[in-house]
Amino acid sequence: MFDPQTMLWLIPGLPLLAAIVTAALGPKLLKHWSHLPTIIGSAASFVVAVMLLIGLAGTQGDGPHVAASGYTWFAAGAFKVTLSLQADTLTALMLVTVTFIGTFIAVFSAGYMHGDDGYPRFFAVMSLFLFSMTGLVLADNFLVLYAFWEGVGLCSYLLVGFWFQKPSAAAAARKAFLVTRLGDAGFILGIMLLWSQFGHTFEFGPLFREAARQADNPYVTVMCLLLFCGAIGKSAQFPLHVWLPDAMEGPTPASALIHAATMVTAGVYLLARCTPLFVLSPESQLYVACTGGLTALLAALIALTQNDLKRVLAYSTISQLAYMFLGLGAGLKHESLAVFAASAAIFHLFTHAFFKALLFLAAGSVMHAMGNVIDMRRFGGLRKLMPITHWTFLCGAAALAGLIPFSGFWSKDQILEAVLHAGETHESHYRIMYLILFASGLGTAALTAFYTFRAYFRTFWGREKVPPEAGHHAHESPTVMTVPLIVLGIGSVLVGVVFEAFTHGISRFLARAIAFQPLHMPLPVHHTNWLLILGSTACAVGGIALAWYLYNEKPLLPLGIAHMIRPAYELSLNRFYFDEIYTLLVVRPLETLGQICRFFDGILDGIVDLVGLNPRLIARLLQPIQNGLVQFYALVMMVFLTAFLTIFVLWLRQ
Amino acid sequence: MIPLSNYLIVGAALFVLGMIGFLTRRNLILMFLCAEMMLQGVTINLVAFARAHGNLHGQVFTLFIITVAACEAALALALILMLYRRGHTLDVSIWQTLREPGQEETVDLDAPPQPPREEPLPHLTPAGTAPPAGDREESYV
Amino acid sequence: MAVFSDTSTLIAGPWRFVPPLVLAAASVYLLLPRPRGRSVLWGAVCGIPAIALGGFVCFRSDGAVFPETFLFYSFSTLAVTGGAVMITQPNPARAAICFALVVMNVCGLFLLQAAPFLMAAVIIIYAGAIIVTFLFVLMLAQPTGFSDADDRSREPFLAAFAGFTLLTAVLLLLDHSYPPVKPFVELLNRVDVARSQDSVAGIRNALGDGQAFLNDLGREFRQAPNQKLGKDWKDAIEDLEPELQKKDDRVDVAALKGHLATLVAVGRDIQKAKEVKPLPAENVAALGRLLYSDYILAVELGGALLLVATIGAIAIAGRKPGRAAT
Repeated sequence: MFDPQTMLWLIPGLPLLAAIVTAALGPKLLKHWSHLPTIIGSAASFVVAVMLLIGLAGTQGDGPHVAASGYTWFAAGAFKVTLSLQADTLTALMLVTVTFIGTFIAVFSAGYMHGDDGYPRFFAVMSLFLFSMTGLVLADNFLVLYAFWEGVGLCSYLLVGFWFQKPSAAAAARKAFLVTRLGDAGFILGIMLLWSQFGHTFEFGPLFREAARQADNPYVTVMCLLLFCGAIGKSAQFPLHVWLPDAMEGPTPASALIHAATMVTAGVYLLARCTPLFVLSPESQLYVACTGGLTALLAALIALTQNDLKRVLAYSTISQLAYMFLGLGAGLKHESLAVFAASAAIFHLFTHAFFKALLFLAAGSVMHAMGNVIDMRRFGGLRKLMPITHWTFLCGAAALAGLIPFSGFWSKDQILEAVLHAGETHESHYRIMYLILFASGLGTAALTAFYTFRAYFRTFWGREKVPPEAGHHAHESPTVMTVPLIVLGIGSVLVGVVFEAFTHGISRFLARAIAFQPLHMPLPVHHTNWLLILGSTACAVGGIALAWYLYNEKPLLPLGIAHMIRPAYELSLNRFYFDEIYTLLVVRPLETLGQICRFFDGILDGIVDLVGLNPRLIARLLQPIQNGLVQFYALVMMVFLTAFLTIFVLWLRQ
Repeated sequence: MIPLSNYLIVGAALFVLGMIGFLTRRNLILMFLCAEMMLQGVTINLVAFARAHGNLHGQVFTLFIITVAACEAALALALILMLYRRGHTLDVSIWQTLREPGQEETVDLDAPPQPPREEPLPHLTPAGTAPPAGDREESYV
Repeated sequence: MAVFSDTSTLIAGPWRFVPPLVLAAASVYLLLPRPRGRSVLWGAVCGIPAIALGGFVCFRSDGAVFPETFLFYSFSTLAVTGGAVMITQPNPARAAICFALVVMNVCGLFLLQAAPFLMAAVIIIYAGAIIVTFLFVLMLAQPTGFSDADDRSREPFLAAFAGFTLLTAVLLLLDHSYPPVKPFVELLNRVDVARSQDSVAGIRNALGDGQAFLNDLGREFRQAPNQKLGKDWKDAIEDLEPELQKKDDRVDVAALKGHLATLVAVGRDIQKAKEVKPLPAENVAALGRLLYSDYILAVELGGALLLVATIGAIAIAGRKPGRAAT
């Protein structure tokens, strides 16, 4: 219906228009109808994205690609930046994900945020976020990508600090923004280094072609690591993971959209887009994989003991993102492996978006029913009270745990296969590392299953307990909130089986992404590794069984275990004291530096004040002359007259 | 004949003395008298110049100075009277309202001078003889 | 007296004013009334030598006659002493009396300068009218004669120091502008003697050291009362100088004597220009003639001024405090 270029402009343009309309007309005109522009905008954007996807899928040839050039943003000599968009298969898949999830989360929010004072503001920022995210994946060059990167960061700040009157929310928003900023500093350095080394251009195509020509450039590893810095910040990996759990202060739909499905995946998208670059540097890939593996294990260990349902989900997000990085880091130098690993990571991103958003929305539904109480110790046995929420949560939890045939299983399996292959097909020290990473991946899978079902059992099984804050809310959520849950539940069950499991549709679709074109890869060949499937299923089932045993059959046993391993329990419960360490190492010194600077600023202010006070001081000095005594005035006159005459006489005598 | 410069020296000396007195003393009348003494110094100068030039212009000028001095004396006395009525003292230091807004008033901090000693009454030698000691107890009419 | 004035030039030029004036300043400072008492003794100890020294170093006696100089010295000494006592006297009534003394002595000086009318006028107006009026006001305002304020002075040190610095400046100026006449006359006589000599040796003998002679001539330039005579004197020196500095055998005696003659002539002109015409004996008549011819306007204005002052004094002093202006 539209030509491709127009489609490219429509996809971010519609949410932007919705944002402007909501911001302008929301508070006064639309009020509690403010959700309409956002839902309509994101739905329309989704339709266009699907059309784009179909169009690209239907195009023959190696790298289906649409480009829409915009106007020149700025040009200064060799430095030229244009606002142009492009779309290949990778972009199309991400767009569909973002807009689909975004639309349903917007529908859910219409119910969840009902009655809130900042209702229009919420939807305006949500639309703005959809605009930034779609713009990010549609970006043609690094600077536009960076601009939208910051845009999503801004929207995250606005949404996390939505209830800014609460000091903890404001602090959490600040923390999120500043911690991601640390990553962004490395990111922009990486971009500039890329620009300077590879042909003074920012655009992906020319840049990667030039990079392929300069395969032995000594700076490649540094560049990759700097780009990965940005991904660490935005996707909450170790050591910059501390902001994501705190970001749960925001409204649950915001957490679902931003911190589960879309924004945090921007880092994964970046690394996938830069696969041609990472392939040139196996060291950086190993570093990416190690970071992923470490973070996955770390987050899973912390999630074991958390009592806040949203925090459990936040740490599981960190863990799953780490899985994606683990996948991305398994590419190494083998071309087809790189494509396979990257597409595995993107597929896991796709499925993770579904089930994590579902889990968050279900948690939101629970929170809505329980009167904003989300501490699992204070409620229980909700499966009879909230059946739809219960069943959809179960679907999401099963997908997260990686049970066959839910979607999470297929994507996790692909990643583990990639890591295993990476270990097999390379030099010895790399092989050992990747084997260790594979083992940690399996262990994390087991832990994931355990803590997910721990949360499930504690919330929905056991004695029915409703906290007093619930009041008359303690019932199933309204239709506007349950419909998205059902849709996402169906998605998280079916999307793996339908699209990937047997037809490998998504991997083949992604493999044709122009991002991978410079590598001239053959399409990956899949063979089903039954041992791996059995192993991972065993881990998942084992975790679920253990959770069932500990939290359903013998509810008192976890307490005993916790007592026995008290130090480990404390360590996990206190999130490995990362916040405290960072406060000590970073925040306190910076605060001291700030005080010192304030002191110097005070001195400078004092000097400037002194300059301003000079006339007054001089006047104070001279003021005693004006004491009102006429004789004194005459005396002063006479003294100076005498001085003048004396000098005159002495001068005359010469 | 006495040289011109001698007279000028005397005139300068009187003028300077008058100026010192004007600037130092705090009695209004006395200040005015010192101003008059300054004028005296000036008149000596003028008359000496008249003598040196051999004409009487200097003396005429002096006459006018005396005239103006007389007018000045009259008006000054009238003003002094007004000030005395306001301040009940001839001290010029009490009039300090011209000072800067932030300045404190200048007051005398030294100890006031001792009151003038009473003139001792003349001491007469006793006349006659003292009455006998015993009679002193009785009261006198 | 003549002997003293000669030795006064022995002391180094301008610095000779410093000791007497320093002493005088010290004495005035010591004599000024202070709340904790003033030391009259020390003031007198400083003051009397100050006056003596001052007279010694300041006054010139160029061709003065004995009775005149005695009268001048006594009048001036009494005037200055009276002035000093007046400004340092705590009791204002006594200060007024001292002022009367000053006025008397100033009138004495007037008399010495052939101004008898002025003497009489000043005595009548000042000592008669003004001082008496002041004493009346003093009696009304300060019946006790003393007040607290009379025992204090405002900034005695600064006033004395600045005042006497001013006096030093004026005296230096006067010293510079009115150089002593005696050395000039003596120089002219020397030139006269030299002119009458016939030989170069004789001339040089009479003139003394050539360079010192030329220096003396240059110094005496200050004697010239107007510009023309000063220029003439300078020209004469310039003509003489090359002639004088030639070697003995090259000197033209006649030309030298001619130059010397010009020099003497200019010198005598200067002397004559500085002669003082005697003032008319009928002082009053001459004054009247002058007043009513040259200064008639000033006389009328003076009269008007007196009238206005009278009215003004009555208007100001006639107001009672607190009453609105009538």
